[in-house]
Amino acid sequence: MQTSKKLLPLLFLMTLLVNACGGAATDTVSEEQATEAAPSTEVSGEAEVSGDLVIYSGRSEPLIQPVIDAFKAKYPNVNILLKAGSNSELANALIEEKANPQADVFITTELLTVQSLTAEGVFQSYAPAGVENIPAEFVGEGNAWTGLTRRVRVIMYNKDLVAEDEAPASIFDLTDSKWQGQVAAAGSTNGGMQAQVAAMQQLLGDEATEEWLNGLIANEVTFFGGHTDVRKAVGAGEFKIGLVNHYYYYLQLAEGSNVGVVYPDQGEGQVGLFTNATAAAVVNGASNPAAAQAFLDFLVSEEGQKLFAEQNYEYPLLAGVAIKEGVQPLDGFRLAEVDVVKAAANFDAMFDLIERVGLP
Amino acid sequence: MELTRTNITYQKIRSKISPRLAFAAGLVALFVAVPLIYIFVRAISAEPEAWTRLFQERIWKLFANTLGLVLAVTAGAMLTGVTMAFLTERTDLPGAKIFRWMLAMPLAIPAYIGGIVHLALLRPRGGVIPKLLEDMFSQPVFTPSPLGFGGAAFILTLFMFPYVYLLSGAAFRTLHASLEEASRVFGRTPLQTLFQVTLPALRPGLTAGALLVALDILAEYGTVALLRYETFSSAIFVQLSGRYDRSAASVLSGILVVLAIGILWSELRLQGRARFTQMESNWRPAPLMTLGKWRVPAFLLVLGVVSASLLLPVGVLLVWSIQAFLDPETMRTLFSTGSQGFGNYIWNSLWSSSMAAFIAVVLSLPVGLLSVRYPNRFSKFISRLSQVGYAIPGVVIALSLVLLVNRFLPFLYATPFVVVIAYVLRHMPQAVRASESALNQLSPSLEEASRVMGRTSFQTLFQVTLPLILPGLLAGGSLVFLTSLKELPATLLLRPAGFDTLAVRVWVWAGEGFYFQAAPAALLLVLVSALPLSFLLRREQIFK
Repeated sequence: MQTSKKLLPLLFLMTLLVNACGGAATDTVSEEQATEAAPSTEVSGEAEVSGDLVIYSGRSEPLIQPVIDAFKAKYPNVNILLKAGSNSELANALIEEKANPQADVFITTELLTVQSLTAEGVFQSYAPAGVENIPAEFVGEGNAWTGLTRRVRVIMYNKDLVAEDEAPASIFDLTDSKWQGQVAAAGSTNGGMQAQVAAMQQLLGDEATEEWLNGLIANEVTFFGGHTDVRKAVGAGEFKIGLVNHYYYYLQLAEGSNVGVVYPDQGEGQVGLFTNATAAAVVNGASNPAAAQAFLDFLVSEEGQKLFAEQNYEYPLLAGVAIKEGVQPLDGFRLAEVDVVKAAANFDAMFDLIERVGLP
Repeated sequence: MELTRTNITYQKIRSKISPRLAFAAGLVALFVAVPLIYIFVRAISAEPEAWTRLFQERIWKLFANTLGLVLAVTAGAMLTGVTMAFLTERTDLPGAKIFRWMLAMPLAIPAYIGGIVHLALLRPRGGVIPKLLEDMFSQPVFTPSPLGFGGAAFILTLFMFPYVYLLSGAAFRTLHASLEEASRVFGRTPLQTLFQVTLPALRPGLTAGALLVALDILAEYGTVALLRYETFSSAIFVQLSGRYDRSAASVLSGILVVLAIGILWSELRLQGRARFTQMESNWRPAPLMTLGKWRVPAFLLVLGVVSASLLLPVGVLLVWSIQAFLDPETMRTLFSTGSQGFGNYIWNSLWSSSMAAFIAVVLSLPVGLLSVRYPNRFSKFISRLSQVGYAIPGVVIALSLVLLVNRFLPFLYATPFVVVIAYVLRHMPQAVRASESALNQLSPSLEEASRVMGRTSFQTLFQVTLPLILPGLLAGGSLVFLTSLKELPATLLLRPAGFDTLAVRVWVWAGEGFYFQAAPAALLLVLVSALPLSFLLRREQIFK
């Protein structure tokens, strides 16, 4: 029988063929990626940046899209390939890909992940233009990462259902039976929620944090996959209260809902606001460092920072960029004193706790 | 969907197994088995700490959750599928002809898309229906929640029962009338006949359907994640996007695969001994049962099932899509979201699924040739092994491939080709079964004649065998295409940046609560899936 003698090479050929088609059909980034010699019309230095730019973003796609579009408009020769997911999912991918880097830029919604990844040696040092105008505590050691915007954990409520003087003034009030079944929050897979838990552990200890989480669960808090669902549900009056990042309140307000906001825990002896920041970093071994650096420069530039502030009601970290009109400035608020480095070191403790209490 | 037929052994004619064919088939089986073996290696070599942490409590809850859902949905799908098949095949149900199509069509709707729609309609406090009722009666009215166990079981049953419906429908049609007539002559009532004669005779088809459903539920990620009901699959997914450590995910994966192989094995045991021989000569259709006063309730029952599993989801997606198209803001985000354009998602979906279908069919040929033309223990084993992909849920395949490819084939890592490999591994069984059944129906004498006339075995394969079994191969390919198109978890985990499929887009948008944006992609996914499904259905007698 000679059937298979010829069948094997055929199979092999097919595989090759398929591989070739697969490569041709999409613009994937292979290891030895030939930089696409796009016919650039050398107008300025900006046009020189070209090729594929692979961005891993822990920020949800709709929120990062406007910034990407603006960057694209500026650098038309760059082809952006975006992979959006949860912070930790992408962090896992980055660690796995250390020997075989795929991404050029990583964007995250909290600092613990970039801090942990810096320790893993995933990033390369890069100081974007203007980084000196960003507060030092929001720049990674040796410029491994750069903070972009600040956000605050707040309590939003539906004004049709809750009077202003009734609204909970502390995140610890959310475990009060008065709000039983009336609170919505993001679940355990959400970076913002994870970061808050880790910060609370660092500040208040495991026991108090566990008690709070158990209190939330016992109080029949509904945990959604993301904050968009939370804000919409509160806006629609399905829930009286939502625990969200501050800009979700403003986004819901802009949609015309009758919602109010509490910047919680401001009393004497209370913990203060839990804040966090988004950050970006250039991946070590990025195949297109030029584009990655241009992208970071853009994110830190006045134009990029304005986009974050205007489109998304965030607190820009670059000095001199104004917050959007109507957003409460942070000055004068009591902020929780969280040591990011310590909190990041205890990242695993946070996952242990979340699993232990069975946070959905 | 084939009748079990006595397999004439051709070993008298061909004494020797072709070593090269055996080698090729063995390679295919190995290709499928490697990811499986690798997961076990990872699971066993995980540090004991991961095992103890998982075994403290979590694992038992996952076991209970997963098995509970598998049992509930399998039972629900069997009950619904057989009832629907009986009503449309054996009774004078009005509209049976149209209902046959409609009952099979939910296979084109991924369960998670059905879940998204039902969730939007029934979500406690926020759903369309609870709100409507509240407005009507000016007080909250209790509506069943689609979240949690009940909801997940309900939704999955709705979108899984067509498997059972198709298999039992085919069995009802081929069942000999004389069997039931004999039973009636001996004084059994119609109901007794149904339970003591008809249903037992359907057993082979039913166990195959039950197996399909059970393994699908084990692997299901999208729906359970959406409805917040934790099973092994979704727990693995959460582990993968959690702590920076793959051992817990590997351990859970190992356990999940053992569970799946257990189900696979028990099906073989059940299937093994039941054989029914039918004389094909004087076959005639069984007489239809007159429903009489049950006509209206039966009609309403079928209509209800069809509405919940087909009309409602498609209708809602249509309405959402229209709303999306009418709103310029939504349109803008629709076409500029993601780094690539909308056309790009369609193209990615199409080419990756077609490629997977093509490769799976090509790889299934040596396996099919070996097991059909040289039936013995070895070839049977190879055939079984190459079908083990059924038992590896998408999440597990993804995890295994990430680790394997990154380590041993770094040049392939993060290319769409890895996604295609995952599809092939996962859906190989459908191709193998189709190839085997096509070859089974082809008498080897044709091939032998061709050899006698002096053609080489290779020429024979291409000039005689392939043209004759092509329709069967196409059916296998269509199945692989259809299931690859709907695949979610492996695609989510393996896709390189910028490579999004329709399924991924639906998931990302819906996950962010943007249902209007998700709708056009979902609708398109359903429409594209409906094409190969129609092709498959037309091969069946009743759908002509």
